[in-house]
Amino acid sequence: MKAHKMYRLRSDLREDGIIFCYSGYMTEDVLFSIGKAIKEKLIIDDTDKSVIRLVFSMFVEQVQNVIRYSDELESRQTEEQTLELRYGVLAVGRVVREHQQGRVFVAVGNMVRNEDVEQLNDSLAHIKSLDADGLKHLYKKTLKGETPEGSKGAGVGFIDIARKSKNNFDYDFFKVDESMSFFSVTSYA
Amino acid sequence: MDNIRIEATDRTPEVDFAYNENAFSLRGEAYPEDVNAFFGPIVDNLEQHLTSLQDKEVTFNFELIYFNSSTAKILMMLFEMLDACASSGNRVVINWVFEADDDNMQELGEEYAEDLEHAAFNLQPQEV
Repeated sequence: MKAHKMYRLRSDLREDGIIFCYSGYMTEDVLFSIGKAIKEKLIIDDTDKSVIRLVFSMFVEQVQNVIRYSDELESRQTEEQTLELRYGVLAVGRVVREHQQGRVFVAVGNMVRNEDVEQLNDSLAHIKSLDADGLKHLYKKTLKGETPEGSKGAGVGFIDIARKSKNNFDYDFFKVDESMSFFSVTSYA
Repeated sequence: MDNIRIEATDRTPEVDFAYNENAFSLRGEAYPEDVNAFFGPIVDNLEQHLTSLQDKEVTFNFELIYFNSSTAKILMMLFEMLDACASSGNRVVINWVFEADDDNMQELGEEYAEDLEHAAFNLQPQEV
């Protein structure tokens, strides 16, 4: 890729306040290494320790959602192991627009099947509608395994993101084709 | 039951289960790659042991810096197991050790403690 093209990509990202960006197959090793770099960058910026903790935990939950649930995946069974890689996009940065300016955000996007969109949307809308007490109640109920099976896309991870961000998170879906939609979640620390 | 001692890694806690003294602790970061692979065997062993106890003193120290939501489920199981152990005639003390400026970690501990009916619970803020 030519330098001017790479530079343009970098400029586009920076314009949106993005400090870290990764588009590719997400693995636990990727999560660990990027997580470490994000922490270091926030320490260098003299970010409040409580904000660093929040960002880190939102980052872990969002990236683990991709690792477990992205519907864009490749796998291969070898004699020794089953390899499976799931694709997603991650962006971490600071809000540049006036509203919430300077706040750290964690944005993650991945493919989901169209038939799963409705349930995922309903679960997130429900989470979004709850106040702190309601979220706590749902969180504990989910930890105790009292939520119905099959709520795969909206388990305890999303409830945790909602609680940590004090319900300051957005999500939406974009229909890509007849079978897939792109799903994006952004949470603010 | 043999004592268990597993050193901490960057993402898994130190596990120190002194079965001979009924003194147990988890210390450090907790967001394992595979939560069930890491916690499954040690939690199963602990449950077997706890259900066999009678009229004993049991202490469990949680000294976690960070844990993810999958680990939160394991902690819920541990709290339920410890409370059950206390309800069958043992004296169980749970200590929740956290960095003093980490309000969120304090709240999480308090939330687990809300459901305890028999075990004693102490919040132990630590200056960093």
